Amino acid sequence: MSLSKPSTFNIVKKQYAYKLQAYIQVFMSLVFIQMLGILFSFNGVGMSGGGSNTLGVNVHYYSADIVIAFTIVWAIISAIHITTQAYRNDDFVFVTNRLSSNFSNILFLLTASIVGGITAIMSTYVMKVLMYVLGRTEYLSSPIAATEMIIGFGATILYVLLGTAIGYFIGTLVQLNKVFVVLVPGVLIGMIVLGAGSMNGELLQAVFKFIFMESSFALFFIKNVILVTLLFSSSALLSNRLEVR
Amino acid sequence: MNVIDCRGLTKVYGGTKALNNLSFTIEENKITGLIGRNGAGKTTLLKIIAGFMRETSGEVEVFSEKPFNNLFVSANVIYINDQMNFPTALTLKELLNVAATFYENWDHELAMRLFDYFSFHPAQLYNDLSKGMKSTFNMIVGLSARCRLTMFDEPTTGMDAAVRKDFYRALLKDYLAYPRTILLSSHHLNEIEDLLEDILLLKDGKEFLHMPMADLKGWAIGAQGLTANVKEWIQDREVIHLKTIGLDRMYAVVRNDFSEYEKQKAREAGLTFSPVSSSDVCVYLTSKTKGGIDDVFI
Repeated sequence: MSLSKPSTFNIVKKQYAYKLQAYIQVFMSLVFIQMLGILFSFNGVGMSGGGSNTLGVNVHYYSADIVIAFTIVWAIISAIHITTQAYRNDDFVFVTNRLSSNFSNILFLLTASIVGGITAIMSTYVMKVLMYVLGRTEYLSSPIAATEMIIGFGATILYVLLGTAIGYFIGTLVQLNKVFVVLVPGVLIGMIVLGAGSMNGELLQAVFKFIFMESSFALFFIKNVILVTLLFSSSALLSNRLEVR
Repeated sequence: MNVIDCRGLTKVYGGTKALNNLSFTIEENKITGLIGRNGAGKTTLLKIIAGFMRETSGEVEVFSEKPFNNLFVSANVIYINDQMNFPTALTLKELLNVAATFYENWDHELAMRLFDYFSFHPAQLYNDLSKGMKSTFNMIVGLSARCRLTMFDEPTTGMDAAVRKDFYRALLKDYLAYPRTILLSSHHLNEIEDLLEDILLLKDGKEFLHMPMADLKGWAIGAQGLTANVKEWIQDREVIHLKTIGLDRMYAVVRNDFSEYEKQKAREAGLTFSPVSSSDVCVYLTSKTKGGIDDVFI
């Protein structure tokens, strides 16, 4: 028997294929959470009404925003989930080192983000069909240009990807030290509830503006890619010394 | 070629030293038994060799490379223990298929034959298996991977006697057909002693004995006789174990390093000699305190 000399690229490929199979629950939970999102979307995101003596008009707005928001939450949680010890140990049952494990995780999360982003946008069609079936017939929908559609897909995928990167980073911190289990939610809630009072929520608003209020897609793309790269690479660096099994 | 080379290896866990300045080398294509009491540092040592854990100080080299976070070591080493966890979403058959893609020397036919022999069901889930079945499945993965360094940590946990026997036989057969370095840690030395070439005895994280198994068998000898005679005879000798029998008799285990003439003299003094099994020697050598459990119940 000879010694085998594996290349990192080769092992990452194998690990990626393995994870697509092994982490199938991640996709199952996506289906579930998006169905929940569609259900909640039936309330509509807004409503306006008007009328005269003889005529009343009520306009309900429906959108896939809730589904997208749910998908981002799913992305964060799934990413945290795959950094947990049980999942990490699954990696180390077979051939890997920490670098290839992180790489294949990132590839998996990228795949999950693409699937999550596309399905989230496509859920509008499910909603239209359901509305037709459920008898709310008098609905209008604005036709969307192909470029807008593509930007929609792109932006949603990037948001979901950012969600996974944030989740992966938080999960890695928690693996390094359990104190982050308390610290991360503490800081977040503190910033939202308390910080909002004392600092007028400036920091939070700035972050929100930076990520969510970008009107140029190209700029948004660059910002997002930089953020995601930073988060993933720092997670990989932090976990490079982690002991397993 | 040395497969494992340890020099002054130390691992500290929350204040206590699980491994304490451990130095040894393991040569290629030998079956070595890693023996030690609970908490002697066996599992810690194996996990460091597998590259899962980092040493606190000292050096360890596997195939002349540092094992921690090393892809080359990971590809040529497999570590099997009873706390393996496989992804819950995959069936047993799928797990074997995945393992086949990772290990270059994987023998899928052997894996499937063992799989059938131990009557696993392809669609079963790993988590639904019983303890012994899990160990058996781990063993199939460990054997079929044919890694140059194969480590089994308490592989027989939960297995029944028949499966244990089958396992040892399978291990030996596959080793003869495809020689490789095997490290086997176990509490049941009497079961595996015929399998082992070398023995590495750990005590409190240190190497206590590292010798061929054949040497260990004649390493110590037991002598029994009247207390006074035994006491006189064991003066200036390395006593490994002492036990009083009844009121005036005593049993002593000592290093077997004296001449036939000395033995003859001892026999004249009324001592009877008996061989000591390797597993008893190991128990005596690694006992943490003087006396035994009897001394706890005063």
